[in-house]
Amino acid sequence: MVKFLLNRLAMMLLTMLCASFLVFAVCEYTPGSVARKSLGPFATQQQVDLLTAKLKANDPLVVRYGRWLGVLVGAIPDPLQDPSTGLNFKDPRGAQYFGNFGYSTLNKLPVNDVIWNRLGNTAILAGLAFLLIVPLSIIFGILSGLKEGGALDRTLSVICITFTSIPEFASGVFLVTLFVILWPILPGTSPLTSDGGWAIPYQFVLPVAVLVIYDFGYVARMIRVSMIAVMERPYIRTAVLKGMSTRRVILGHALRNAMIAPFTVLLLQINFLISGVVVTELVFAYPGFGRLILEASLFGDISTLEAATLITVAIAVVTQLLGDLGYMLLDPRIRVR
Amino acid sequence: MDKDEHPYIPTLIADLNSRGISRRDFLRKATLLGMSAAAAYSLAGISEQSVARAEDMPKGGNLRIGMRCMEIKDPHLADFAEKSNVIRQVCEYLTLTDRNNITHPYLLEKWEVSEDLKTWTLHIRKNVKWRKGGKVLTADDVVWNLKRVCDPAVGSSMLGLFTGYLVQEYDGGEKDDKGNPKKSSKLWAENAIEKVDDATVRLNCFAPQIAVPEHLYHYPMFILDPAENGAFGADANGTGPFEIVEYTVGKGAKYKARSDYWGTGPYLDTFEYVDLGDNPGAGIAAVASKQVDGLSEADAVQVNAMQNFPHVAVYKVETTQTVVARMHPDAEQFKDKRVRQAMRYAIDREKIIQTALLGAGTPAEDHHVAPSHPEYAALAKYPRDVEKAKKLLADAGYPEGFEFEMVTRPDPIWELNTAQVLAEQFKDIGVTINIKSLPSAQYWEVWTTVPFSLTAWGHRPLAIMTLSLAYRSNAAWNESHYSNAEFDQLLTQAEGILDPKERSEVMAKIEAIMQDDGPIVQPFWRIFSTVMDKKVKGFELHPSQYIFAHQYAIAA
Repeated sequence: MVKFLLNRLAMMLLTMLCASFLVFAVCEYTPGSVARKSLGPFATQQQVDLLTAKLKANDPLVVRYGRWLGVLVGAIPDPLQDPSTGLNFKDPRGAQYFGNFGYSTLNKLPVNDVIWNRLGNTAILAGLAFLLIVPLSIIFGILSGLKEGGALDRTLSVICITFTSIPEFASGVFLVTLFVILWPILPGTSPLTSDGGWAIPYQFVLPVAVLVIYDFGYVARMIRVSMIAVMERPYIRTAVLKGMSTRRVILGHALRNAMIAPFTVLLLQINFLISGVVVTELVFAYPGFGRLILEASLFGDISTLEAATLITVAIAVVTQLLGDLGYMLLDPRIRVR
Repeated sequence: MDKDEHPYIPTLIADLNSRGISRRDFLRKATLLGMSAAAAYSLAGISEQSVARAEDMPKGGNLRIGMRCMEIKDPHLADFAEKSNVIRQVCEYLTLTDRNNITHPYLLEKWEVSEDLKTWTLHIRKNVKWRKGGKVLTADDVVWNLKRVCDPAVGSSMLGLFTGYLVQEYDGGEKDDKGNPKKSSKLWAENAIEKVDDATVRLNCFAPQIAVPEHLYHYPMFILDPAENGAFGADANGTGPFEIVEYTVGKGAKYKARSDYWGTGPYLDTFEYVDLGDNPGAGIAAVASKQVDGLSEADAVQVNAMQNFPHVAVYKVETTQTVVARMHPDAEQFKDKRVRQAMRYAIDREKIIQTALLGAGTPAEDHHVAPSHPEYAALAKYPRDVEKAKKLLADAGYPEGFEFEMVTRPDPIWELNTAQVLAEQFKDIGVTINIKSLPSAQYWEVWTTVPFSLTAWGHRPLAIMTLSLAYRSNAAWNESHYSNAEFDQLLTQAEGILDPKERSEVMAKIEAIMQDDGPIVQPFWRIFSTVMDKKVKGFELHPSQYIFAHQYAIAA
């Protein structure tokens, strides 16, 4: 077991290394230098050259990647925080520590000051959505999987497929029109401050609703398929024939087996909810992680982008690991010894 | 009459009385020559626009306006109205051009100009105090700011405006990658910007220039505290009505009113910008649920969605904001001026206005001078003429037309819509345009280097300001690579002419050159609009999209 975990940890580090290098390389080929983006369209070439030198953006890719890695693990101090550069980059944690993601050129703040807050906001949004998606999709999935092709199955399937096929921006606009403009009981944007006159809990309702509407139907469909397969198995027939109540058949025999496959799907939704909610965040002006990644990539803010990549990879790997552990719990046949 | 009165003012008054010039032209000219706005308005026989009186304004409260909050490097480098709006509440200008194109003294008490329009004496207000340090605004501060923007290393766009009368270009001996000499800029003389005494600064120009007070209101020309050396952020020093207490890119800005502000206002206790992101729907939603009291800009689509909200008032103003589809005359296909003419004949302006702006615009004439500009000279208008355009193309060697890529931005959406309608209309003369839409950040990266693009230009009170920024050879923002010696010379001439009749003759020549040889297709002037909650008082929509929070109040 320990070996298994160590193995997984090593794989995660390797994935992170590869992903971070890829991001560096891809940024290299996007048009425009960071200095030019930072100074704006009207700066003179002389100014751009000067700032490029200050940011040490002229060094070869591998050198810059090595330096970024060194700063991250705390092996070397961040050269951009050297007062002699005149960039005025100050990190209260110091220039050299483990987990130093460097300085965001877009926000003019240490990445660690920006990213955790945004990630936290998105985690709250994702967490609330997840809390609703799981029970909703399980109930819908099971109910429609009980009797394939029955009236209930057809009704629920239509609901699930309709909801899943409405894109987030469309359902966002629809819900805003309904609950903000026609029947004004909810705020239309979610800045997560109560300055605008709406308490923060209200601001979660619409974005969470959009995510749930978009996502739960898909997961419910997955559970439905799995449920149908299980309901056709001989042990279910046996259980029914030996006179067990339907309730006990479903809860005691079918459910646990039906959940094995959808378990992975559910965990994958966490990845989607953390890094894929950019559309919802834009519609509701929500100060989240997705919007930060979008803005950082448009601006070429490589430090923020790298930090976001590492975090996303870490989340993906961890959910995968959880998935595997969960499998073991649900299915004794694949437990490692 | 004032003994310092400019000798040309009596002529202007005579012209006004004999109806030789319009009242608009008189007002603008007389105030530029140093006459106070009140005196000019009373001479013109119209009462000055009723400005809400201070004692009638409700006091206190917080006002929230939705606006993008972008990264700000240095106020002197401000390159978007939104950025200047963030700084504007904290730092101020020497002059102020109002929504009617009349320029008033602001941090200046008044100005005087010599008869030849070459010597400008600027008298600084004596009661203006910096927020921090208790210092008074001095001539040294003003001189530092004016000289700073003239330093090419700073990179302010003011340099381009000052070129031609304060700043000269010279060959510094350096060469660029292609071996062409690189031009550098410097102040034309040691005493070009001169401190006379603690409250007086003199500009000694080498060429006459009437628009100096208007240039001093160009949006990067903030008067900053020299001690902060161009830095801006929370707690930045300024002479303005508010203290900025928080500024977060992508999130917003928060301000606190100053109690010791020299001017009238501010009436609010606090003021805020809220960044609602790039999604136009978020602006509508935020106004609907009263999370913001207004927006800095609302396009025609947004206005349509919001005009029926019972708590919302819509504001509209005609502007000289526009987009130009500009062609590099050094690109193979656009080399022949007949091709550029054909592109101008290819478009149907009314249709573009209806389709891309939902009617919120007025037709333009391909020379970047608007009928509302005081120096506008009316030329014969030409309608869409596909046959003529095709013939011009054939004569230039493209009987089958050609294919080209036009670079543009996806937001604001009316820009992309315009690009699409233009591409459709160009197709009718055989020119296939492939639209390449780049995100704003990347667009501004290449805006001067791509051979064909659609670029938005902001409102400016004078056409010659835009012409000299955008079309003078080697000008700072000459995105179209246009270079025409005759045009340059006429422009310099126009900048120094006082007589409206004589000047309009020169302007007619300039406009004709633009239509005949110029690098742009210009479909329309935009009508600018926004929304504010009805409880917001004192709000007037400035055609440059400027926000003056100290004039606004909020009714309880």
